[in-house]
Parts: sequence; structure tokens; C-alpha cells
Amino acid sequence: MKTYKNFNIQRCSTVFLLSIVLISSSCKKSFLDVDPQGQQPAQQFWQTPEDAAKAVNGIYANLRTWENVAFPALAIESIPSDEADKGSTPTDATFFNLYDTFTVTATENTFLSFWTGQYQNINLCNQLLDNISKVSMDEALRARYMAEAKFVRAYSYFRLVRAYGGVPLRLHVPIDATEYNIPRASAPEVWAQIELDLTEAATVLPQSYGAADLGRATKGAALGMHAKAALYQKKWADVYALTNQVIGLGYTLFPDFEKGFRTNNENNVESIFEIQSELLLGNKDASNSQYSQVQGVAGVPGGGWGFNVPSQVLENAFETGDPRKNATIIFKGETTPQGDLIPNTNAVPNDRYNQKSYVPFSMFVSGYNEGSQQNIRVLRFADVLLMNAEAANELSNPTAALISLNKVRARARGSLTNVLPDVTTIDQTALRSAIYKERQVELAMENDRYFDVIRQGRGAEVFGPKGWKANKNEVWAIPEAEIERSGNLLTQNPGY
Amino acid sequence: MRRIFTKFSVLTFLCLLFINAVSAQDITVRGTVSDGTDKSTIPAVSVVVKGTTKATQTDVNGKYTISVPANGTLVFTYIGYTTQEVPVNNQTTVNAVMASSSQQLEQVVVVGYGTQRKIDVTGAVASVKGEDISKQASQNPVSALQGKVAGVSITNNGAPGKSPQITIRGTGTIYGKTSLLYVVDGVWYDDINFLNPADIANISILKDASSQSIYGIRAANGVVLVTTVHGKLGDPTVNYNGSVGIQRITNAVKMTDASEYATAVNELYNISGLAPLFVNTNLGKGTDWYDQVLRSAMVTNHQVSVNGASEKSSYNFSLGYLNQDGIVENNNYKRYTARLSNDFQIFKSLKIGYNVTGVSSVSRDAPSNIFRALYAASPVVPVFNADGSYGDPAIYQLGNGSNVNPQATLDFYNQTNKQYKITGNVFAELKFANHFTFKTSAGGDFSQEEVRSYTPVYKATTSQLATNSTLGVDRIENRNWIIENTLTYDNKWGAHSLTVLAGQTAQRFKSYTINATAQDVPYSSEGDLYLSLGTAATRSITDKGSLNTVASYFSRVNYGFDNRYLLNASLRADGASQFFGNNLWGYFPSVGAGWVISNEDFMKDQKVFSNLKLRGSWGVVGNAGVPINPSTQTVDQSAALIAYFNGQPFTGAGIRTIVPPSIFWERSVGTDIGLEMGFFSNKLSVEADYYSKTTQKAIFDIPVLGSIGTINSSIISNQADFRNRGLELMATWSDKTSGGLTYSISGNIGINNNKVLNVSSGSNPIDKGGEGLTSGVLSTRTVVDQPIGMFYGYQVTGIFQTPAEVLASAQTDAKPGDFIYADNNSDGRIDGKDRIFLGNPNPKYSYGLNTNFAYKNFDLTIDVQGVAGVDVYNGNLSARFGNENFTKEFFDSRWTGPGSTNTNPSANLGSGRNYLANSYWVESGAYVRLRNIQVGYTLPEEIVSKWKIKKLRVFANAQNAVNLFGYKGFTPEVGYNTAAGATPTSRGVDINVYPLFATYNVGVNLTF
Repeated sequence: MKTYKNFNIQRCSTVFLLSIVLISSSCKKSFLDVDPQGQQPAQQFWQTPEDAAKAVNGIYANLRTWENVAFPALAIESIPSDEADKGSTPTDATFFNLYDTFTVTATENTFLSFWTGQYQNINLCNQLLDNISKVSMDEALRARYMAEAKFVRAYSYFRLVRAYGGVPLRLHVPIDATEYNIPRASAPEVWAQIELDLTEAATVLPQSYGAADLGRATKGAALGMHAKAALYQKKWADVYALTNQVIGLGYTLFPDFEKGFRTNNENNVESIFEIQSELLLGNKDASNSQYSQVQGVAGVPGGGWGFNVPSQVLENAFETGDPRKNATIIFKGETTPQGDLIPNTNAVPNDRYNQKSYVPFSMFVSGYNEGSQQNIRVLRFADVLLMNAEAANELSNPTAALISLNKVRARARGSLTNVLPDVTTIDQTALRSAIYKERQVELAMENDRYFDVIRQGRGAEVFGPKGWKANKNEVWAIPEAEIERSGNLLTQNPGY
Repeated sequence: MRRIFTKFSVLTFLCLLFINAVSAQDITVRGTVSDGTDKSTIPAVSVVVKGTTKATQTDVNGKYTISVPANGTLVFTYIGYTTQEVPVNNQTTVNAVMASSSQQLEQVVVVGYGTQRKIDVTGAVASVKGEDISKQASQNPVSALQGKVAGVSITNNGAPGKSPQITIRGTGTIYGKTSLLYVVDGVWYDDINFLNPADIANISILKDASSQSIYGIRAANGVVLVTTVHGKLGDPTVNYNGSVGIQRITNAVKMTDASEYATAVNELYNISGLAPLFVNTNLGKGTDWYDQVLRSAMVTNHQVSVNGASEKSSYNFSLGYLNQDGIVENNNYKRYTARLSNDFQIFKSLKIGYNVTGVSSVSRDAPSNIFRALYAASPVVPVFNADGSYGDPAIYQLGNGSNVNPQATLDFYNQTNKQYKITGNVFAELKFANHFTFKTSAGGDFSQEEVRSYTPVYKATTSQLATNSTLGVDRIENRNWIIENTLTYDNKWGAHSLTVLAGQTAQRFKSYTINATAQDVPYSSEGDLYLSLGTAATRSITDKGSLNTVASYFSRVNYGFDNRYLLNASLRADGASQFFGNNLWGYFPSVGAGWVISNEDFMKDQKVFSNLKLRGSWGVVGNAGVPINPSTQTVDQSAALIAYFNGQPFTGAGIRTIVPPSIFWERSVGTDIGLEMGFFSNKLSVEADYYSKTTQKAIFDIPVLGSIGTINSSIISNQADFRNRGLELMATWSDKTSGGLTYSISGNIGINNNKVLNVSSGSNPIDKGGEGLTSGVLSTRTVVDQPIGMFYGYQVTGIFQTPAEVLASAQTDAKPGDFIYADNNSDGRIDGKDRIFLGNPNPKYSYGLNTNFAYKNFDLTIDVQGVAGVDVYNGNLSARFGNENFTKEFFDSRWTGPGSTNTNPSANLGSGRNYLANSYWVESGAYVRLRNIQVGYTLPEEIVSKWKIKKLRVFANAQNAVNLFGYKGFTPEVGYNTAAGATPTSRGVDINVYPLFATYNVGVNLTF
């Protein structure tokens, strides 16, 4: 027994020692040095031209996020206007009513989500602009990528400055604490940056792309967006010059107003910039645009949630016989040109739905967002023509104004002869009203109306009955949470 | 896998045959065992022939019979008594008188990497016996702990197969792993839902930092040590435990019927200036959706085990079967467990052994949102129309919140979750040089989970349809292993006792998940459910994984002098792969000291205390279960960044986060002071603890400016300190009367105060708790000087009665019937700055009262459990997206016009600012419940012995039979929705919570 025991101890001690040695050695750095699993560290990025291409792609893709195209955009840019009502059932998403009635306070979440959504675009742009110099690649392509990023950055700041006035102007990815928390720039400073970015973009961006790149920002997009930025600043001469440049690029109006908004006519001759969206089978996360879904006809399979519905005011705004009325508004009970019957039953809670975001129900694939195929029309040539008309009129050139204005009316009229006669007045005030009116019906339900009326100085006149107050509602509130996070470095807008 | 088990079991039985060869020349000895103090006889005393496996037990009258060699020795053992050895010396009658041991002295508790006498423990360690766990009707061993141990707070999740949320001494982490560390036979787990409660011999809960500290890196949330049943010396014992029961919803909330609902919705429309939705509100009762979809559900449990041991080996083999229906139609969970353990004493000095558990479970899941859907569903919608089609909420224009027919949701939901797990360890234990024990153990945990869901092409209602079928398959694999070596030196000399432990472990955790879907998969049988049968273009696949390793060294010294002075100290060093550089290694020290005052000379003459011990400890523990590599800036290449040009997809990428400079583990530093007291010969024992535990450098988010443009609104880093401080009191009275009644009554209460001490971003709050609420309104706030995740919102001071009152107020956009909010900052406006803290979702008091009575052949257990000082957010009532249903209670008390009520709002709950987080939605979550009541009857031995049965007990029990609470929802037991990615900062928001149910069982315990 004794011998057994000893033998045993020795052997086991050896095992013990061995295992200690084995494990100790394996406990060196090698055992504890584990690679990140399934994630590419950032140090490996910004090396190849493919990285740069992916980064630009990401910038475009991010434009169709929820914050950019769905509820936050509707709450900030559409529902408060007179052309749209909340929609859906009365008790659904009632926070929209706070915007619609101008009783919203700075703590309402959507202020922050819209704000953040725009800055997410800006961050991706800044990432590219800060880092693309590290990539060894074709210089022309590098310049174009940078111009594309500048275009999106300008577009995002445009939406911010319209909504909030001056905002923190971030032109680089913050790298230290001093760059992290920065105060609001003034609105003119933001506008100046927008114009600078767009000027630079326009000099680089091509007039058009090969088919494989269809959908990227073009020179026309940069010029057109620049014109719109100038329009909001009443820089009439600039608007006029820029829109004329765009007109000179050869855009034309798509002949059929209604069909121009269908998915098979995306990126058409009238399109200046669209946010590209698709339904990618097998990839729900890439089929993520909810632009059509949230506005789609409620109560119908393949429709949507039924928010942001055209108002009675909008319906009444169309001239008699204007084909754009039926192309802009889906009426309950109608059959759409694509053959979808909107049942006139309780199941459909609203009388009118947005037709510009409409995607035929037959294109719905269950499990995917309804209408995720629909591109969002950001800037159409019709808008450019109307900007051109407005600038010409303000520059006392009614003849030029009428030419542009009537092009828009002529297309709307189509083959009809007894509707939408050409506008002929050369009285500046009357013509201005006519142009405003034309913008209302031509660009209806395209998230233009609300800020358009405000920039026209007619906020109180048009929205006053809904609760809009001068010297307050020209801009929305800076998100209260953002002010808190800035340690009150950010200041609140007056009246909030 | 089952084949292997069969082989194992055959092997085991073969072993038995050899081991149990019996020697001859025995005589039959009879006797009675009685208590030395009150002379009463003691049943169930183990009587073993020393040096053999021969054993028996005394019967209910304390009598035994055993065959024994004439020169043998009998060993009498019984918990709470000093073990007695009596030589037979040719006598045929051997009576034993057992001396009640000082329990505190002899009781042994399981501690980290070893056991200690209870008296030697200087930390706060609670033990729960296996039988107290298996006595509960709980299918989950953790759930069975509810109310048993002071300071352990358990929030049950009623779903079959799901584990409860458990915290020990408060919430100490938010982003770190919140699960406890479970150590089962030396192997580490995050959850023990795979264990059959009947396989558990003992659970030891390490509550204070010094006891936990030996598990350093992973101990911060508390450590639960599980010892499984091993064979006990004696002949093979076959146990069968079976029960069958029924689970029924209890404390159900009555919802409005169709007429009441229509009335309320019309009021709501009227308030919104709309024409009434229902022309006729006289719609009768309508559909009671809860009644339609919920059911009385069966639960069946069988467990068979065989165990025994000789001097040379022990074995335990058990098979378990659980079949639990959910209270929702179609929901079912089946679990099969097999467990085998063997120990072999190869030499006197060397023992080897293994434990292995195989588990297979199949769950037919309930739709994840079904309980919210039931609450929201309108009673005006019929389940089925007259023509057999589903009642369609859309035609009643009910809006997005109640647009589903829950019956259709159930009928077209098809998801199964299958899990396989094999886990266990092998070990060798060598004793040498009298005082040394070396133990080496290698453990593994290998599991696979397969979730398969299938949606057919169907059209039930306007919003419930699928134009394409979808098959989803998720597979999750875990491969973890642990190697552990410990060397223990144990010696006693004179009045000194010394135990020194040194050890080392290495661990590796690997997890891999793959998710795949395809559309247009046909379904004529289960055999069709393959992704490859779907349309190629619709197939998608993603995967992810994690890998981390841990290397550790630890040591502990326990020194005792004269059973009076105790000193413990330990140190553990852990290196974890998720950290870098200086943060790679963490060090976790602890010290503890105890003074057994009752063993002092000056206490000899006093009669009050039979035990009095003061102990104090301090320790540091860690939580390395923090998000892996958060400080590594990674490139986001998610599908959402795919761009389209000319309709074609192009991969996009971007850097959309900012990361903290570096991250390291959370450290908790805890102090515990305890007093243990025994009175009246330890009939009454009292244990009180004060503790304070601070989580330092906890992983916490600080908000990021939206203008940084990251996709997350916060970054996490080591930037907060939390403190949990509290008191625990546990008192047990156990005694037996001369009339033969044995009983114990044990009460415990834990009081915990949670507080955020410090956040590096200063006073910036983190607002959370918006999951599922109207407009995602955030209902909780975590900020310095407050408990984690406090409810935060407006203070309701009344209800607007008239338009004039509205106009005169700061809420001119309100309508009569809306909440009046307090202008707490007195700026004449009602906005976010008027919000205040409304309640605390972290229970302040949790308590339990556990009793056991035994009289003759009857036994009775009554357990009561409750929490107090806790609040719940009634998210179910507040979340309004359309025309969700109302509770009857709300309907009856709602505002209907001026003067009707100044407490309850009108039916217009979801509009204006009524849906915002406010004090009306915050209710007390206190409850007290009859957690378990069990009555058992053991058939007289005279009867059962005729059937060759050693013991036959029948019992009936009820779990959650009586629940008292004021909360107006279905259950005040509300955790946080981990499925929705919520953390403890979102605790207590009641939406889609599994309703409370009671379980009634009858069962049998049979021993051969």
C-alpha cells in the first residue's frame, strides 16, 4: 500500500507540474490574445480605392434612414404645413399633433431624431472628407467622391438650417474634446458653408454618369440644390443664374406627371436628385426605406400606415381640372391608374393619401417594408423651373418668369386643352402669387410646402390659423436633450 | 447521444454488482434512535455498517433493523446531531442516543473551491438544500430560490423554459453581464435552466464580496455554487419523483366588454372632435381575448434516479422529463435531462470521477408580442366571423395599436426552439503528505440551439397576411471549456487550524451564431423546411461570433484559532482576452475576520446565546462580462449601408460610432458586517448582515451629442460608480414539540438602496425605458444621486374639468379630461423641465417567510414571499397607438365629464400629452404572495414495506395560489425586456409581460 501511495504521488506530482507548466505557458499573451470576431477594425479601413467607394456608398445609403425619410421628416417638414394632416387613426402617433398645432416643446423626441439623422449623414461625409487622402487612388475619382460627399453634407445642412436656424457646423470628425462640444454657428454661417460645399461640388461633379452609376449626385444636383439654398436666402440673382445653369444642362419635364412618380420612371429626365431605394430580396435590412410605408394607404394589404395625408386645403388648392390633383392624392374609393382599388370602407381610415409616395400594392413582398422600392424625389426639374420663375420675377423679369412657370403648367396640363391656361400676368405681385400657388400644387406632398411658405414670409398668414406664431415658429426648437448634453453651450431658439 | 448514456448506465450497474458483494456471518441487530435532550425518537437517521455500503434508515418511530457482522460497528448520522459510532459486540439490540450538535459548529457550507464549517465562514454565504428547491413547483431551479434567501431578488418570467432575472444585493451593473455566476460541479455557467431541480443537492449563494472574490473576474453579480446529487453510502436507492399539475392565470385583469369599449372609444373620438366610431354602442359582451387565447395548461414532471456508494465508488444516475404547456395555446416546452456522476476511490489517496449532464429541450414558442396583443385587442372584433374567416380589426377602423386578431397571430405562428447541451467535468483528487490535496478538473459546456420559424402564405386579416412564405433558421453554438487545478493544505494543531488554497484556471468561451432565411419554401411536411427549397434570390445569411479566453491564478488562506478567532484572506488574478495592455490583468483581493464570541470563556456562564459570532469582510470582485472590444473602432458594413445605383446594390461602409479610449472591467468593492446568533440551544438562529458594495468604473453610457452623428446616442465606457447598500436579516426557529410536531419557521428580509454615485459626464442623465411605449416616450432616467433607472416624468396634479380651466392653465393645448401637470419649475409653461422622479423600479424590500411542519406522517410547507418599496410603470395602459382596449377598472373610473373624477383621465389616453411619462402610470409594485404551499403524506412503513418500498410519499402543492397587490396590471413582477435589448435602466416598464399564473400539482415521491 505504502509503495503504491508513493508511486502514485510521484506520478501525480509530475502530472501536476506538467499541467502547471503547460497551462502557464499557454497563459502567456498568446492564450489571451484573441482577434476581434467578425468585425473589421477601423485601422484596416481607408486603404484601398474599394474602401473609398464603400464609404461613398454608405453616404448615399444613409439618406434613406427612418430619420431622413419617415416620421421625423414628416413631423418637421410636412405635417405642420397646411397641405398635410397627421393621418392614420386619431389616436395613432398623436405626437404629430404637437407639430401640427405648434404646441410642441423642446423635449419632444422627434426634434432630436431629425437632428441626429442629419448629422449622421454629415458624419459619414466628414469621415470621407477627412480620410480619403490616405487612400492611394485615381485623383479624379477621389475628387468626385469628395464632391459627392460635399453635396450630401450641404443637403443635410440645408435641412438642418431650415428646421433649426443656426446649428453646430461640423466639417471634420471631432478628434479631441475641444472639437467635440461646439456652439451653434449662425444661420448665415451655415448657409455660407452650404453654398461653399455646393460650389465646390458643382465644379467637380459630372453632368451625368454611366448607367452603372445612375443615382449619384450630379453637377445639376449641386447647382439645383445651390439654387434652392440661394432661394431661401432671397439671393435672387444667384437663384436666377444657378437655375439657368441647370436649365442649360438639358433637363426636361417628364411628360406624364402621375407616371413620373412610379418606380419604373425613377431617375427620369426630370430627376435632378433622388434618394435611391430598392427592395432587395433576401436582404430586409437593405430594403429599409419606410418612406412609402408610413404614408401608404392604411387598411389595405400592401399599403402602409397612412400618415401624412393630403389635407382638404391641398385638395382645394388645385385649379379645376388640374390633373395633378388626382396624381397627388389617392382618394378613398378610387381605383389607382395601376389598378389598385382603395376600398371605401371603415378599414381605410382617411379620405386621402399621398400618391407621390405610392407604390402599387402588387409590388408588396410580405416581410419587407411596403413600398421600399420607391425613390424619394429630392429635387425635380419642375422645382428648378419654379425657382427660376420666382427669381426672374423678383428681378423684375416677368417674361422670363412666365416662360419657366408656364413650362410647368404645360406639362401638368398634358394633352388637355381646357385646363391650366398659361399665366400671363406681368404684375410682379400677382405673378409672385401665381408662382407660390404653382409651387403649392406642383411640389405638393414632397416635404417642400412648410418651409417654402415660411421663407416666403407668409407663415403667420397661411399657418396662423393652425397656431403658427411669428418670431417663434420660423424655426423649430433645438432639441432640449442636445442642449443638456452640451452643458448649455447650445442656446435655445426664441419662444421655446 | 442517448446511446452513449445507455452504455454509461450499463457500465455503472455492472460496477455496482461487483462493489456490492457482501460478506457473510452477520447477525441481525435492532434498535431505536432517540434524541438525547427530549428523548423523542428520531426518524430517518442513517444507520451504516462502518466500512461497508450496508445502510438503512430509522422508521417514523425511530426504529431500525440491520444485518451486521457481530464484531462490526454501526454509524448513526443525522443532520443536526453529532455522528455516533456504536460497536455491535454481538448484541442484537443497539439503541443510540443522539446528541444534538451545535449546528453552527458542525454545519458545513460550500464555498468557492471548497467547503468550510459554517462557524469558520467570515463572509455572507447562504445555503439552500436541494429538497427546498425540488419542493417548489418551479421548473427552473433559480425561480425556486425566490423568497428563500435575504438579499436575493428574483423576477420571474412565466414563459416555459425561460429563466428569471435575478440580482443579489441590488443592481450593480448595466452593460456588464447581469447574470450571476453559476458554478455547477466546478464548471461555470450563466444560467442553470438546464438543471433538473431534483438533481441539486445543495445551492450555496455567495453574497458578499469577500466570498465572491475567489471567483474574481466574473463574481460581481454574485456567485451561486451548485452541488449536484452524488451517491450516498449504502445500497442502491431508486427514487422516483413525479408530479402532474395545472397552471392557470391568476389575478387576471378584467378588460372592457364590447359595449363598454365602444362607449369609451366614442368618447375618445368625441374628445378629438370626431364623429363617433360606433353608431351603436350596444354591442354586448363581445370577445374576451384573454379567455379566448389563454388556457389552463398542464405540467408534467418525472424524475428517476439511482444512486448509491461504497467505500470505493459512488454513482448517481438520473433521468428527467418535463413537459410544460404554456398558458397560451400551442405554447409548449419539453425538457429531457440525463445526468450521470461517478466517483472512484482508486487508491486511498486518489479519487477520480466525472459528472456529465445531457439536456435536450424542445420549445414550441409563443409569439413574442402576444400578451401585448391580447391587452390591446378590441372586444368588438369577433374571433371568427360567421363565415369562418378571422375577425378583422381593420374593418372596425381600430388603428395600428390593435390591428391584429390574436387568434390569427397564434394560428399562423410556427416557431420551434430546440436545444442540446452536453456539459460536465472530469476530475482527479489526490491527497498526499497528510495535509495536501491536489485537485484537477477539466470541464466543458457544449451546446447547440436551433430556432426554426415558418410563416406560410396566408391572409387572416388586413394586417396579418403573408404573400410569400418565409423560413428562418438560426443556429447558435457554444463551446466553452475550463481547466482548473487547485492545491489545498489543511492542518490542525493545537487550537490552530489552517487551510491554504492555491489554484489556477484557464477558460475559453466560444460562441457562433448563424441566421438564415429564405422565402417561398413550400410546406407539406416538416421535411420541406429547408432553405434550399426556397427561392434562391430570397435566401440570406448572416453570422456572428465571439471568442474570449481567461487565465487565472488564485490563493486563499483560512486561519482559525480555538474556534474563536477566524481570519480569511484571498487574492485572485485574472487575465481576460477582451482587455489590452495594462488592463489585461485584474487583481481581486479579499479579507475577512470572525470572532465567535460564544466560545469565549466569559460567555460560558450565560444562557442567552448558544451561538454568537461577529464577522466582517471586505473584498473586490470584477465583471469582465462587458461588451467585447467596445474600444476597438470598427467599420460598419451593415446592409443598411448598401447603396443602389441604377437599381443595383453596392456594399457600403462607414464609421458610425465613436469609441472610448480603452475599457476595462468593472470592479465591485464590498464590505459586509454580519452577526450570527443562536438562542435556546440554537432553536432560534438569527443572522444579520449590513453590506455596502460599490461598483467602481462601471460600464455606463454617457450621452453623445446628436451632432456627432453616431448611430448610438451614447458611448459606453468605465464611467460610473453605483452603490448598493443594505441590511439583511434572517431568523429561523426550529423545534419539535413533545407531541411529535417538528417544525421550522424562517423569515428573511433584505433591504437594498441603490444609488448612482458618480458619472464621468456629470449630471447628464441617461433616459431609457421607451420600449413599446407610445412614441417611444422614455420613462426612466438614470442620473447621479438617484437609483438606477428611476421612473421620470410629469407629476399629475389633477384632471382638467372644463375648457375654462384649460384656458387658464399652462397647458392651453389640453382638453377637458386630460392630465394637469405640475409646473415644477414655475416658469409658467409645462415642458420637459417640469419632470420629476416618479418612482423606483428597484425593489427596496424583498422578504420571505418559509415554514416546514411535520407531524407523524404528515408534512406541510408554506412559503410566503413578497417585495415592497418598488414601483411599476403601467405601460400596457399608457401605450396607445390606436384604439387599444381598456381595463374594466379604468373604464369604470375614467373621467366622463366635469366633476366625474379628478384622478383618472378621460379615455383619451394616447393623445395630447397624456401619453407622456407621468405619475399616473407609475404604480406601486409591492406584492405579497403565497409562493408555495405543499402538503405531504408519507405512507406508513408497515404498509409500503410489503410492496418492497422504502418510502412512499404523496403530496399536493400550489404555487402562487394567493397574490396580493394593488397594481392594476396583470402582475407587478416586471423585469426588463432583454429581447428588446433593454438593460436594467429600463426595468419595471410593464408591457407584454407574461401574466401571473398559479400552478397546482399533485405528485409522488417513491424510494425503493
